[in-house]
Amino acid sequence: MIPSGQSQPLKATAKYRSQFRIYVDIMLVIQRENNEAKPTRILYGANLSHDRLIKYLDELKTLGVIQETGTDDKVYSLTQKGIEFMNNFRKVESFASAFGFRI
Amino acid sequence: MEFVASVIALAVAYQAMKAYKLAKEHSLLYLNLSFVLIGTGLVVDGLANLIVVLARVQRGFLYFFSVGYTINFLAQLVAYGLLVFAYLHQTRNVGPAVMAAALPVMFIERNAFTELILIFLLVYVATQTAMNYSVNKNVNALLVFGAFATLAIAHVFFLLFVLIPFFYPLAHVAQLFGFLLLLAMLLRVNQPV
Repeated sequence: MIPSGQSQPLKATAKYRSQFRIYVDIMLVIQRENNEAKPTRILYGANLSHDRLIKYLDELKTLGVIQETGTDDKVYSLTQKGIEFMNNFRKVESFASAFGFRI
Repeated sequence: MEFVASVIALAVAYQAMKAYKLAKEHSLLYLNLSFVLIGTGLVVDGLANLIVVLARVQRGFLYFFSVGYTINFLAQLVAYGLLVFAYLHQTRNVGPAVMAAALPVMFIERNAFTELILIFLLVYVATQTAMNYSVNKNVNALLVFGAFATLAIAHVFFLLFVLIPFFYPLAHVAQLFGFLLLLAMLLRVNQPV
């Protein structure tokens, strides 16, 4: 599971699943950009509106899986926790896909 | 052979549980329950056979053969029924009629057609995994398809064993081979990134 923040337990609902997929998509974009992605890149890559992007980036920062760097221009990168999560996610996705199940 | 197969089945169940905890996708929970049942059924059957062998096939202990087989058979019936349900669930169009059709399969009592029902369920699962492979074209998907196809063949051999005893060891070898293919998939999935 994505490491949960102090007050944000993630629930197994349909909402959670879509939220989970959005989290993963954002982190995949960051990883694809050599772990340094600008908000615009993430916005297009994860196909999100600006408001939702800000919301999810804040949530991911709270969860401790991404961090904001850069002074003038905001740049996002995965933390060690985020990198470990993505490594686990790839294994799980590969396993589920072998059986034909989508995550 | 059954103990080795059961360890592999439980390893698949463990991996499915890990995947479910991460993604909260219900199909993965069904996959987990399915392989827990398969693993447990194989352990029970293996233990029953072991008891009979250790008792040096005394007449009173032969009863364990049928107890072990029945438990293993019912466990597999529910397990493969669950897998079929998981594939139907994934298509998101599981209506009450489909569920009603699946339930009697899950709770059917042992009869002359039970082995055929298992083969039917396994062929369905193997077909789904073959379709998945045709889309993904990936080695892991091929291994899973190979595993279920081999398990289906193993049950055909179990069916033929009723007529020709020669098929009994062949069925066990095929069953073990099917689980070894799943083990190969597990090892590939868990390779360090």
